[in-house]
Amino acid sequence: MKNLGSIFAAYLIGWGVFFLFYLSIAKRTSDLRAEVERLKGLVAKGK
Amino acid sequence: MVKRIILGFVAVAFVIAAAYASFFIAPTERTMGDIQRIFYFHVGSAWAGMDVFFVCFIANLLYVWRRDPQYDSLGVSCAEVGLVLTTVVLITGPIWAKPVWGIWWTWDARLTSTFVLWLLYVSYLLLRSLIEEADRRALLSALFGIFAFIDVPLVFFSIRWWRTQHPSPVIMGGSGSGLDPTMNKVFFFNVLAMHIFAAFLVVERYALDRTRHEVELLQREAEAA
Amino acid sequence: MSLLSNTATLLGKELRTEFRSRELLTTTVVFILVVLILFSFAINPTSEESREFGPGLLWLAILFAASLMLQPCFLREQTNDTLSSLRLAVDDPFAIFLAKLIANTLFLLLTEVLMLPLFAAFYNIPILPKLHYLLLILFLGSLGVSIAGTALSAISAQARMRELLLPLLLLPLLTPVLVVSATVCVSLLDREPVVQWKGIGFLAIFDLIFLTALWLFGEYLLEE
Repeated sequence: MKNLGSIFAAYLIGWGVFFLFYLSIAKRTSDLRAEVERLKGLVAKGK
Repeated sequence: MVKRIILGFVAVAFVIAAAYASFFIAPTERTMGDIQRIFYFHVGSAWAGMDVFFVCFIANLLYVWRRDPQYDSLGVSCAEVGLVLTTVVLITGPIWAKPVWGIWWTWDARLTSTFVLWLLYVSYLLLRSLIEEADRRALLSALFGIFAFIDVPLVFFSIRWWRTQHPSPVIMGGSGSGLDPTMNKVFFFNVLAMHIFAAFLVVERYALDRTRHEVELLQREAEAA
Repeated sequence: MSLLSNTATLLGKELRTEFRSRELLTTTVVFILVVLILFSFAINPTSEESREFGPGLLWLAILFAASLMLQPCFLREQTNDTLSSLRLAVDDPFAIFLAKLIANTLFLLLTEVLMLPLFAAFYNIPILPKLHYLLLILFLGSLGVSIAGTALSAISAQARMRELLLPLLLLPLLTPVLVVSATVCVSLLDREPVVQWKGIGFLAIFDLIFLTALWLFGEYLLEE
């Protein structure tokens, strides 16, 4: 099995990048969702 | 929301299947060995990246024409996802090249164009971060996106025709042509899987931008109330 | 034609504004000079290497100088708030771009022509034999730089950190111009000079494509 280490490294790093990107989107989305709820509460109180 | 979850599962399923096919179904390449298997992932990501950037280009045109903020959200989502895909291409490429040809990098047409493409879309995102007002940001980045995309073929051909003094190592045995039939099928399955996965990432990023938009509207409402 | 007369009027304004102070021209000339000198400190070219690297370095210097020189292009209008009056003065907003890009091309060309004798001396490259071709390439390349630069300057003028942003947007975009102009100049200034018409044609096409894009989308760049 020639160069097995390199291919594992490539797949690992590649999918690592995708995974980190997805995580960043998921975190930002949940933060913003919380912000939406908070603001909705503010608007409801104001009315 | 449910559709997004289904897409997510489908995307992950395809990607796992594609990886399995790359490792266990595709035959081992004679000269390079198993490192060649990166070709399926690498080129799949590259093609998906180019298509995502093309969608970004269309979204940019549609925004300039229609001024609908949804096109702006689509544009930025495609730009970011395309950039991530291109980053993976630029990382996996050298990891492949080093053991096989002993060099991390070469300035051939494909690699150089990919790198310039990467730089252009980094600039696109940077430009966006430097304009505060939403409408202005959407319009100016759409216009830059249009200029950047029409530049890409010019970059590719300029390097292909005037930088070929050094023979470039053929990174892939011709995309699909002259390839072993099983390898061909695994290759196109990987291309499909990466496209589905890219679509999933674009949808998620788009949803994030729509949420951000909602926050902005609510903030204005909250200030008024 | 209204477009031509509008452009001519605006072009006159651009040229008069610059020649009154000549600050843009002088600083650009000095900048290219400094960059060329610094290059020779950095790489220490021998006579043979100069022929190979010299034109590339010249074009690099031109690109750097242009990305600085193009900053005031629309910034000047922004700070003086003259953009809205400009737009009212013309029927076709493309005239504004046309005038600016012609002015920028002329400024760049003038700078390059002034630099050429010094370039020839520093890098030991005889330029007289193929001067007319050299000027053609300088013209087509500078035109490309100006077209893209004028468009992007309109964009960066409306963003923060515009001094850094313009080069960042412009330089990757101008990669084809750099590659082709430098390569064509190298073969032109070689011991056995060759005129690469394919390259000259490519530069012309680059200019045409971006000019068309600017014509199609220019008015949106000027939206308030």
